[in-house]
Amino acid sequence: MIENFNRYVLANVEPLLGGLWVTLYVCFWSFLLALILGLVACLIRLRGGFLRYLAIPYIEFCRATPIFVQLLWVNYVWPEIFGFPQTVTGAGIIALALQSSGYLAETFRSGFDGLPKGQREAAAAVGMSRWRVLYRIELPQVALVAMPLVINQLAVIVKSSTLVSVIAISDLMYQGLKIVNQWYEPIEVLTAIALAYFLLIFSISRVANAVYVHFQAKFGIAGYR
Amino acid sequence: MFAVLQGAFDPALFWEYRVTLLTGLLQNLSIFAESAAVAIILAFIVGIARLSPRRALSWTATAYAEFFRNTPEYVLLVWIYFVLPLLLTKLVGMQVKFSPHLAAVIGLGVAYSGFMSETVRAGLRSIPGGQTEAAQSLGLSSLTILRRITLPQGIRRMLPEVINQLVSLFKATTIVSLISVQDIMYQVSMISVAEMRPVPLYTGAALIYCVVIIALQALTQRWRTRGWA
Repeated sequence: MIENFNRYVLANVEPLLGGLWVTLYVCFWSFLLALILGLVACLIRLRGGFLRYLAIPYIEFCRATPIFVQLLWVNYVWPEIFGFPQTVTGAGIIALALQSSGYLAETFRSGFDGLPKGQREAAAAVGMSRWRVLYRIELPQVALVAMPLVINQLAVIVKSSTLVSVIAISDLMYQGLKIVNQWYEPIEVLTAIALAYFLLIFSISRVANAVYVHFQAKFGIAGYR
Repeated sequence: MFAVLQGAFDPALFWEYRVTLLTGLLQNLSIFAESAAVAIILAFIVGIARLSPRRALSWTATAYAEFFRNTPEYVLLVWIYFVLPLLLTKLVGMQVKFSPHLAAVIGLGVAYSGFMSETVRAGLRSIPGGQTEAAQSLGLSSLTILRRITLPQGIRRMLPEVINQLVSLFKATTIVSLISVQDIMYQVSMISVAEMRPVPLYTGAALIYCVVIIALQALTQRWRTRGWA
């Protein structure tokens, strides 16, 4: 077993690390995109007037469709209809971001809903504009309350990102399966990959937990876990 | 662009392949039902074990839950399909092989038992400790306390979250096509290869899933928000 580990995992450490890098790259950009899309969708749903009737189906569609179906949909259908994304990496990033933006929009919305209404009224009474109220008063509080759940969403993204190997993005899972298909020795490689993913995702959720505990101790806010 | 949009949704294509697609959906449903049963049974065992006063037991159960909660389902499926039979073969000295269906049921079952054990634990812990203490002072055994006092109340509080988890589990059954279970996504990809028309097929699949899951959520709304009360 040790011998096999040396032969199949350590000898291939370069492609595996390359795959890990691709995983991190895809997760980072889709997380960033998901934060932006989620916040925009949430604000449109809450303050967008009649536009909310576009935001609600968007959020519901993103949340209700399985990530694997979305991934294939974005990968095969979007280039034909919208003309983008042109690369599989782009498709993976967009699909992961779509899914998470739906969840994040709901997270942000519950954050906004938790704010006392008096704050907005008081801010309006001292003459702050709506944008100012949003970014000086509401957003900082929503960010604090939602932070643990937002970090957890990053863990979900890393988890779902294993699926992008299906559309031939050379992430960690893809590189691992490639080695398996080459040598037909799955035990060591797949176990190592499972542990690597576990460690990555577990540490992200530990961070989320620590943030939750820290914020609660420091600011005394009843955030969401 | 309008013509493309029109080509993006084609119910006739789905009607033409209705038998194949429904056979695939049946696979999804049977895997869903079986893995839900596995997940719920394991979740109760692990969730109760996590509250055990015996350190060794509660730590093992916590490690189990954390491991399966934090490992991607796809990795678990592939590991169980390819690696577990080999390890078992070495262990028992006999050729062991899993069918894709069995591997999918085990994989999704253990993955979701991790999530659900958290729910079970939280549900049991929400029962006031005074009740357990009162039962103990009446001389009930810990098994009786669990069976007659904490579980019946706890289950009602777990129900909303368990139903949420089951909806997620149903969504997760889409990935079983990756270990060659002939489920609905497998059939969709087969048909799209045969027809050379991926656009309406994948759009249709996405829309159908979206509608089915929103309908499921609407049907279970009462149970997800109010539980048994």
